[in-house]
Amino acid sequence: MHIPDGLMTPEVVAAGWLVALIALAFCISKVNRRVDDKVIPFMAILAAGIFVAQMVNFPVWGGTTGHLLGAALATILLGPYAAVIVISVILIIQCLVFGDGGLTALGLNIANMAVVGCLSSWLIFRPISRKSEKTGVLLAAWTSVFVAAAVTAAELTISYDMSGGAYGIAGTLSIPLMLGYHALIGIGEAIITSAVFIYLWKVAPDTLRMRIGKKEMAS
Amino acid sequence: MNRYLKAVLGIVVLFAIGLVFYFMFSAAYGDGLERTMEESGIQEQGPFYTAPFAYGEDYLAALVAGLIGAGITFGIVYAYLRVVRRKRSEMEGNETS
Repeated sequence: MHIPDGLMTPEVVAAGWLVALIALAFCISKVNRRVDDKVIPFMAILAAGIFVAQMVNFPVWGGTTGHLLGAALATILLGPYAAVIVISVILIIQCLVFGDGGLTALGLNIANMAVVGCLSSWLIFRPISRKSEKTGVLLAAWTSVFVAAAVTAAELTISYDMSGGAYGIAGTLSIPLMLGYHALIGIGEAIITSAVFIYLWKVAPDTLRMRIGKKEMAS
Repeated sequence: MNRYLKAVLGIVVLFAIGLVFYFMFSAAYGDGLERTMEESGIQEQGPFYTAPFAYGEDYLAALVAGLIGAGITFGIVYAYLRVVRRKRSEMEGNETS
């Protein structure tokens, strides 16, 4: 779902940067006050792990592939603030070092995948996990991909309408295609996220207690 | 610390295996957004900025790219958090003294 350069109108690109920078500043200030020695290596390893997991594509219906987004996994394990930072760092490295996603579109990619992805996972995971953590993980993972795709489709539609077709993709095409493909990719995300969660729960349950700000959020 | 080492090794091995899937599927097909662009007849423009590395054309190149990326990601997050931690303990030290 990495947006390339020149796909969206400059206005949408600017809005993406604005959302990305405000959200990152907020999350950094939240995490800076709570980071402790135990969480540092875990957060760094999780970031590296999500980076490599994102490179591995799986097929979905209709000759399309998907890959892990990791926003839900990071949110569930680290809490939403640290997760936004982790996914943003990954997106920045993918863009600057590997040319995945455009440099001008980096703000939009952070806004869609890190901010929207993590926030939507958290909004789903937080209430559902009180009844069943595993159901919460499954639904949060699917939702993160679907909502991020819906926001991307909206940006494509707005770009198309604002520029009279010079940028973006008409909503009649972008909305059904993006939602359709990502409803399927979200299933892959849900399966992988749940598998990693269950694996950690069995092998190293203490890693599930590292969520930054968990105590105050749980109350 | 040993557990973290194991976790890293596990990730590397899984990735090496998973990359086979990458070459089985992603060479021919795009991801959800690329497919949407393709079906809408949108041509991707040349990038505004050219990155020093790519994900690689063959298995070995992609494996190296993945390891480089994982190393850089780990290094940046780890270094950043260490700096934050040190700065905060300095500030707390000043407050109590």
